[in-house]
Amino acid sequence: MPSFSDASSLILWQAATSATPLVLAGYGELVAQRAGVINVGIEGVMLMGAICAFAAATLTGSAAAGLLAAAAVGLLIAALFAAVTTWCRADQVVTGTAINLLAAGASATLYTMLRDHPAATNGEAPFFDRITIPLVDGIPLIGHALANQYALSYVVAFAGLLLWYLLRRTRLGLVITALGDAPDAADAAGIRVRWWRTACVLFAGLCAGLAGSFLSIMALHGFTINMTDGRGFLVLALVIFGRWSLPGLVLGTLLFGILDGVQTTLASMPGATTHFPPSLFAMLPYAATLIALAMLTRSSAGPVHMGRPWPAE
Amino acid sequence: MKQLLTQLALVLVSIAAAIVLIMLGLYACGYPAHRILTLWAGGAIATRFDIAVSLKIACPLMLTGLAAGIAFRCGVINIGAEGQSLIGALAAAAFATAVAPSLPSSVAIPLALLAAILAGAAWAAIAALLDRYRGVPVVLSTILLNFIALQCVKIMLEGPTGPLKDPLTGVPQSRLLPAAYHLPLLPPATGMSSLHIGIFVALAAALIAWLIQSRTTFGFELRVTGLNPTAARLAGIPVAARQLSVMLLSGGLAGLAGAIQLLGITHILGISQPGIGYAGIAVALLGRLHPAGIILAALFFGMLDNGATNVEISRYGLPHDTADIVKGIIVLCILVGAAYISRHGIIAKER
Amino acid sequence: MLQLSNITKRFGPLTALDAVSLRLDPASVHGLLGENGAGKSTLMNILFGLLRPDSGSITIHGQPVAIRSPRIAQSLGIGMVHQHFKLVPTLTVAENFSLSLHAPLRQIKARAAVWQSQLQWQLPLDTRIDRLSVGQQQRVEIIKALLATDCGTAFPGGGPPGGSPVPQRTLIFDEPTAVLTPQETAELFAAIGRLRDGGAAIIFISHKLAEVQKICDTVTILRRGRHIHSGPAGGITPAAMTQMMVGEAVESPTLNRSSNASLGTLFPSLPPALQLSNLSAGILKNASLTLHRGEILGIAGVDGNGQSDLIQAIIGGIPITSGQLSIAGIDATRAPIRWRIDRLAYVAEDRQTQAMILPLSIRDNLLLKEYRKEPFSTLGWLRFAAWRSHSSDLIRQFDVRCNSIADAAGQLSGGNQQKMVLARELHDAAKPLVIAANPTRGLDVGATAFVMRQLLAARARGAGVLLIHNDLDELLAISDRVLVLYSGTLTDSGTGIQPVAPPSKESIGHLMLGLPPDSPSAHGAA
Repeated sequence: MPSFSDASSLILWQAATSATPLVLAGYGELVAQRAGVINVGIEGVMLMGAICAFAAATLTGSAAAGLLAAAAVGLLIAALFAAVTTWCRADQVVTGTAINLLAAGASATLYTMLRDHPAATNGEAPFFDRITIPLVDGIPLIGHALANQYALSYVVAFAGLLLWYLLRRTRLGLVITALGDAPDAADAAGIRVRWWRTACVLFAGLCAGLAGSFLSIMALHGFTINMTDGRGFLVLALVIFGRWSLPGLVLGTLLFGILDGVQTTLASMPGATTHFPPSLFAMLPYAATLIALAMLTRSSAGPVHMGRPWPAE
Repeated sequence: MKQLLTQLALVLVSIAAAIVLIMLGLYACGYPAHRILTLWAGGAIATRFDIAVSLKIACPLMLTGLAAGIAFRCGVINIGAEGQSLIGALAAAAFATAVAPSLPSSVAIPLALLAAILAGAAWAAIAALLDRYRGVPVVLSTILLNFIALQCVKIMLEGPTGPLKDPLTGVPQSRLLPAAYHLPLLPPATGMSSLHIGIFVALAAALIAWLIQSRTTFGFELRVTGLNPTAARLAGIPVAARQLSVMLLSGGLAGLAGAIQLLGITHILGISQPGIGYAGIAVALLGRLHPAGIILAALFFGMLDNGATNVEISRYGLPHDTADIVKGIIVLCILVGAAYISRHGIIAKER
Repeated sequence: MLQLSNITKRFGPLTALDAVSLRLDPASVHGLLGENGAGKSTLMNILFGLLRPDSGSITIHGQPVAIRSPRIAQSLGIGMVHQHFKLVPTLTVAENFSLSLHAPLRQIKARAAVWQSQLQWQLPLDTRIDRLSVGQQQRVEIIKALLATDCGTAFPGGGPPGGSPVPQRTLIFDEPTAVLTPQETAELFAAIGRLRDGGAAIIFISHKLAEVQKICDTVTILRRGRHIHSGPAGGITPAAMTQMMVGEAVESPTLNRSSNASLGTLFPSLPPALQLSNLSAGILKNASLTLHRGEILGIAGVDGNGQSDLIQAIIGGIPITSGQLSIAGIDATRAPIRWRIDRLAYVAEDRQTQAMILPLSIRDNLLLKEYRKEPFSTLGWLRFAAWRSHSSDLIRQFDVRCNSIADAAGQLSGGNQQKMVLARELHDAAKPLVIAANPTRGLDVGATAFVMRQLLAARARGAGVLLIHNDLDELLAISDRVLVLYSGTLTDSGTGIQPVAPPSKESIGHLMLGLPPDSPSAHGAA
């Protein structure tokens, strides 16, 4: 039995890893929702990001190509989503669901086609590895978690600070708030609502695509059918749970990551699976999220115009 | 009449666009698209056997399509049909294998279906009540409940603790359902003996849905609630109760779909996700939220899936999931087209 | 001096403006009058750069200008104070300024402070918009417009605005008094006066003819896209203005007060249509009133003082926390909505949200409250033949102009929509209680007169009419008595049921602000 501090350290380390794609995708979804667009298709974008990163890395032999591919496909799908919802003004939730459907089919198809491709069967595909920061590693409890993550995780952390600054202290933040709370006022102020919303959606697609790549060419080293397994929907829940604020999102995601880590540790303890069904542990995080959402007070702090097409006409 | 023609045109154009796009994609990947298209169509409707299989696949989709359709028409975004159908199947499986395995068919099947309907409705009720009393958006709770439903099924089926698990195999699945619980097939004289009577259940459900929707005060109230809940309330319609009713109906239909899938096709409950819930949303949109349209749309999707299997086992080996791509494209085309129509219509009238 | 010459604008087959000309002198207030659809908004949108004219020209001090966008309009000193405020409710006042003007917060606060002192206002710049009163929000809009037109007047460092030689500042005020109390209106007029004295040209769009007469120096009247008249405001009577706006003499319905008593005393044997005893609901506190059959009881007050809570408490939309409510003598405090709507007619203010289902057909809308009853349904089964005949009768009776009852209700014009609602609510003469909330909102003169006539007709046949209206003139024209609603409390304006001269508008105005009715007129800070 590992000691408590070892177990905690391990859980934190695990939490930081599993939180990374969620937080990254969360940045994009947060910005999009604050600008008034709810993207239910984030799951599909992450999935496509994962498969495209994997495919590009396998076919070209370069993990960096995988990152680029994931970013590109994220932007592409986001552009499609923006065209349909912001410009043609179709319903956002249904469009997002259609994108999920499309992505499920496309990713599985691509994966099957890839398996038969000659390049794929030659040995391993290139992946990114974790990096280690020597000094930080020594710090008790959190050191291991802080010092041994993927490069992308550190980028995500710094990006979070940058994003927070932009949203809180610059005009960009004001514009995004206006887009979501009072698009008519934004329009009167000379802000081109649809173009800005499109930009926010593209940002969301970029984040989600990269988040997907984290799964396939970093953390999980490979692609499996349906590998996102609901993470995109979790991000949706976490954005709302964090009350559409960046610190709230990060905190909520970390908590979720810790819970997930606890769940995995419990499940791996000897005798766990003989007495408890393994899926019970898997269910805990989702059930906990649902209960947490239910316990939040009812005030709808969300952007007033989220989900509504503009101009309303 | 003009409305009907416009909607029909929208559907046909969307399907045509999707087919064209997929063919272009296939050509780009080096496949002979025209041959694949022939195989696809052939697999769907070439012989009566094929048609029967298409109908068989379409059957649960009709029900999940009706489930999504009734919800959307009333302004409730129920994306939880996936979970509700799983819970319905679970309830039917539990009833069939654990509760009353030795009932005669005439009693067993209706009871199992009833159990599924009630279970699906209850699962939907969770989301409805969370929305009503805790303000959790239905969009979010139904999605999370979909995952929880799958995990519930897994818990019931994973060894060694799963109560419904078949003790004789290592695979997480239930026992084979007793023969009495298998849906009877159509008589061989029809030439469609691979099709089970569940198709009549689905058609009956569609008929009932249509009657309620267009000819009853209840249906009128549902429609009004969906279009303008404030005005509905001030007209004396109990809005919250109606929205809850809609979720229950929707969940019940989805649960029924899961049970039909189990009793008619698979006969064993497993842990793979059939995907009929999400596909039902696409069916509802393609069917323009009208029960008759939904039946036809489900049939079309059934043909899509059937044909895709045919292509998969052919020498081209294209994975079955390409059918999902087609469905996704169709839905997107419909969304764009419908938005264009409604905007164009509005502009025309204001002048 | 700003001159619009022969402006023409077409939208497809519709000619919105037909060679309209307008001349604006500096330091003047120019009223712009016209019905809905007369072209006022189109003309102002062209002036403000939101639309381009098909032909015609705009010149400033004789130089022709092309106003291609609001930004250019603002650089030419043209600013607009919108009727529906274009403010972001979750941002502060200063942040809203910063957003519109692309200026950093500190700089914008300094410039706003200068204007505040000029106008003698004290808006809290770091408060969120949704925490300000409507009157304060309008001031934010006004300062925003002033700051925007500052930009165009070449003061890069934010130097002293107003008073210095400025290339013509023009401000457009679009229906500014619709949401203000009489006192706030007076303060607004004072501010407009100061701006005019500072050299600005003001365009004042309003349908309140008395106000136009008071504040405007000159007035222009448009009708159906054509210019009808321009001239000094003092020389024309409101009746003449109405005639020019509508094209014919319109008799504005008023209550005939010379008749002996209000009809309320003619139905003494019938229980009162409505009685409230110490009713509390929402922000409404201890409200008491008695509405007799055959009278119109007006409730004056600025929106937001409890009007919607009062209405919703009577209709059943919100629960009653204490006190009692009775309709036609029967206790209705706990009655469900369905029971109430059988006994009362509700003419809603926000008809598109509360009274109508826009995508639904006219036929279905007309049956919205009666579909449950015979002959329209039997045991839950709908009987459409009865629907059709009933609807056809109603639209004929109430002159609702439409192509067919199968059309969507959203296709009707605003006036016809209100007629449809009136048809549905008022056709049943047996209903003892009528509740009308701002029933003439957004309607032109003809439709307004129709609504008022319907309310008077309901009164004449013995219904009790509760008229909650923010337009004091219309309220006073047809009410037997008036109560005032302020901050959730109902106060008597001092008149009883006897026919007396209508209560003074000023005393009601004071009550609307929570002041005693005979206060000296006060100018408050924001």
